[in-house]
Amino acid sequence: MTIVGLTMVTEQALANDVELADELVLRLQRAEPAAVAEVYDAHHAAVRAFAKRLLGDAASAEDLVHEVFVSLPAAVRKFRGDSALRTFLISIAVNHARHHVRAAQRRRRALSAYGETKSPESSDPEREARRRELAELLTRALDTLPIDQRVAFVLCEVEERSSREAAQIVGAPEATLRTRLFHAKKKLRLALETEGVR
Amino acid sequence: MSKDLLAEAIRALRDSEQTSEFEARATRTRVLTGLHQTRVRRRTRLAFLLPLAASFVAVSAWGAASGQARLVLDKLERFVGVTPSTTIGARVPAPRRLAAPPVLSAPSPEPAGLAPSQKAEPLPATPTAVPAASSVRVTSSASSSSGRAERADPTLALYRVAHAAHFVDRDPARALAAWDAYLAAAPSGAFAPEARYNRALSLVRLGRKQEARNALEPFANGAYGGYRRAEASALLEHIEP
Repeated sequence: MTIVGLTMVTEQALANDVELADELVLRLQRAEPAAVAEVYDAHHAAVRAFAKRLLGDAASAEDLVHEVFVSLPAAVRKFRGDSALRTFLISIAVNHARHHVRAAQRRRRALSAYGETKSPESSDPEREARRRELAELLTRALDTLPIDQRVAFVLCEVEERSSREAAQIVGAPEATLRTRLFHAKKKLRLALETEGVR
Repeated sequence: MSKDLLAEAIRALRDSEQTSEFEARATRTRVLTGLHQTRVRRRTRLAFLLPLAASFVAVSAWGAASGQARLVLDKLERFVGVTPSTTIGARVPAPRRLAAPPVLSAPSPEPAGLAPSQKAEPLPATPTAVPAASSVRVTSSASSSSGRAERADPTLALYRVAHAAHFVDRDPARALAAWDAYLAAAPSGAFAPEARYNRALSLVRLGRKQEARNALEPFANGAYGGYRRAEASALLEHIEP
């Protein structure tokens, strides 16, 4: 197949994808359960991962995932197609995250008061314990940040998204996002040092 | 060092997620159940609201077509205590009929050339007020319904007196006084536009030309929509300034 032929096939495939995506968005706007299920199956892992990293609590993360997909048919009316559907889902999660962050913090405080932590089995218990300790420490440090800085840090540092994409998700200028990220990292470093983890 | 520590913590947080397939499926079920319940709630709301909305539209249309809406609005205004606007263009009269109004065919009260196509206005008559003129037909049902209307609006009696003076007795001076009395009592009453037009005719007959012009101009200018517009314009052309 020549390069021209290959290009035409690729363009045709892209056009088909766009058409399918448009149709899916239309079905979502009609709140078709099958369409929501389709989107859930394709993107729930990404949304759940973000929710868990942002909230640091599995139960609150599940609640946030639930809220994102239930509100999707209403929210998708604002979807202009200028970003990927997954990015749009993450932005819905960001918009709904505020009270889930507070719920996760309360839950964490309660669990820590009772000393209740799950410790899954691992082939290298020592390494696993260190990893868990660091993750929990960072999550507790994240609790001290304002929600905007917390979102910026999770999107850019933990999820490794570009500042452009992260800015698109939170609906803020890129420069603002970078400022939030700078302050977040500064505070987190200080918090980790204060905790004395070496 | 702290930078390395932060990077290590970030990696730890990134790697710490353990997605449970069971949780994912449970949330999927919750989402779909939630959507289903939302749809059911929306349908239930529609099932209640649509018939209500349809009934409201139907009743409103009937009220507007039969003229009952105006009566109800007037009653409401009186009940609430709102003073109706007395400006001429405040209300554009809509085609209306009182409940089964009696048919009147009074002789044309205008001199030829002054009133191109004047017809008697609808009169909410009662048997006692109906003159013995053979041209007036009043049915018993009409009289009972107009009686009800008069009980609802006492100013209709004033209108009836003015109507008799204008169309039956053909006494312009008395008619003018009677129209003024009606308009003073009901400046935006059900028959205010008719009363204003007939008052203008009385002024024409009395030779009070400037006042007649002032009274006819709003009709010719369309302040009452198309009501008597052509007649008023024709009259204004015939009245010398």
